[in-house]
Amino acid sequence: MKKHENYRELVLRLAKTDFKLRYHGSVLGYVWAILKPLLMFTILNFVFSTLFHLGGVNDPYYPLELLTGLLLFNFFAEGTMTGMTSLVNKAQLVTKIYVPRWTIVLGSTMNALFVFGMNLIVLVFFFFIYHKVPSIGGIIMFLIYAILLYVLIIAFSFLTSSLYVRFRDLSMIWEVLLTVLMYAAPIVYPLALVPEKFRQVFLLNPLAFIINYSKQGLIGNQFTNFWHFIILIFSIAIVFVISVLVFRKYEKRVAELI
Amino acid sequence: MKKENKEKNNIAISVKNVSKQFFIPHDKSTTLKGAFVNIFKKKNIESFYALKDISFEIKKGEFFGIIGRNGSGKSTLLKILAGVYTADGGEVEVNGFISPFLELGIGFNPELSGRDNIYLNATVLGLTEKEIDEKFDSIVAFSELERFIDQKIKNYSSGMSLRLAFSVAIHANREILLMDEVLAVGDSNFQKKCLREFNHYKEIGKTIILVTHDVDTVKEYCDKVMLVRNGEIEMIGSPEEVSIKYVKQNILDENDILKKEEII
Repeated sequence: MKKHENYRELVLRLAKTDFKLRYHGSVLGYVWAILKPLLMFTILNFVFSTLFHLGGVNDPYYPLELLTGLLLFNFFAEGTMTGMTSLVNKAQLVTKIYVPRWTIVLGSTMNALFVFGMNLIVLVFFFFIYHKVPSIGGIIMFLIYAILLYVLIIAFSFLTSSLYVRFRDLSMIWEVLLTVLMYAAPIVYPLALVPEKFRQVFLLNPLAFIINYSKQGLIGNQFTNFWHFIILIFSIAIVFVISVLVFRKYEKRVAELI
Repeated sequence: MKKENKEKNNIAISVKNVSKQFFIPHDKSTTLKGAFVNIFKKKNIESFYALKDISFEIKKGEFFGIIGRNGSGKSTLLKILAGVYTADGGEVEVNGFISPFLELGIGFNPELSGRDNIYLNATVLGLTEKEIDEKFDSIVAFSELERFIDQKIKNYSSGMSLRLAFSVAIHANREILLMDEVLAVGDSNFQKKCLREFNHYKEIGKTIILVTHDVDTVKEYCDKVMLVRNGEIEMIGSPEEVSIKYVKQNILDENDILKKEEII
């Protein structure tokens, strides 16, 4: 079978279309992409710093930490959710025409990448307000973690998108798990609040690891142990390979099952 | 050796021993709970062959017709050729890029405007943005939808979206056209326009595969026709021969039904 010749353009076109579809018909349109995490931030910031007294004198940069964590988590949540449902949502492109299926999945996750990029502008603005200048090393590590997180999102999307065609309750389960994951990662609270003996186990969760060290790099200028970092990259690579294999096995019958 | 090679280059599509089996679950579980519960139950799945061991070849530049009654496996075959379905066994070899037109469409999104759908689907069919920019006016002109091009597809009538889909499919400029029932919905003017376009395609050496019920179209345009029945090839031959057989078969089938009714 002859293959499609222009993957890059195809993926970008699919992503662009998604972005348009997602925000068309709403009055504020694209602004929602930025507004949603900001509203979330405002609420959580009020609850945890005003009511629970996190931050304050001990931790003047608590809002920055919260926003950084929240944006990364939002990226992960949105990317995985749209990635998982991508094949079903684009059923017409699966059943009526041949498009390499991975381009559909990849195109859908790119939507979350765009939104994340736009939110980064807001993050820079907040750093400006709080007069906080992160170190170059901190910024570089943050960007590397963001890329790793995106790889994780893509892997997860490959793994679940072909399975979601068979088991539609995956999306319900994932929605609940995402809430669990949000509180299992140090987003609204600093890692220091986790009892010392649990910390290592806690950081086995790649999402917690990425969010924690992104924050610490940007705000506290603290970095992770080199070997831990290598292990993280290695495990994400393994997950990625497994996901691609699962996807290739299950994508064949997708058109019949959708 | 050289001759053999030349002959191979002449083939647009070669299908060898292709079968396709579908499973019809009688209590389908699309939920995890259902799947867990069903582990312990005896699986109640019926399978049927939509295609049984099909082999044929289509030469480059040929206008190849496929006829057969509903449920004979024509559309399944076309979907396998297009790459939408994967065949269970056998080999499908396609030389050249395919522009498919299946189930009266090419995968339009009803929430998008005609314009956005043209860009999306032409990209899917392999055109670059620049090429689409150049061809855009011609695509719209052929579909005769100038006034409605910025309206959402969901507001189009079935004839309108058919015209647009067909127009995009032929402008993709690919070597092989797969056309499933294109002529079923359009009015007679549009049908004529389509057929003229097919002739033009044939003249410039492209391959066209047309699925239809209409014996007259087959006789007028096709070089070669394949008759499919119950997932098997009944015969491949000249349009005249195959048409006669197809019509006869339909009459016989009709008679069978009448007889059964009489017995009852």
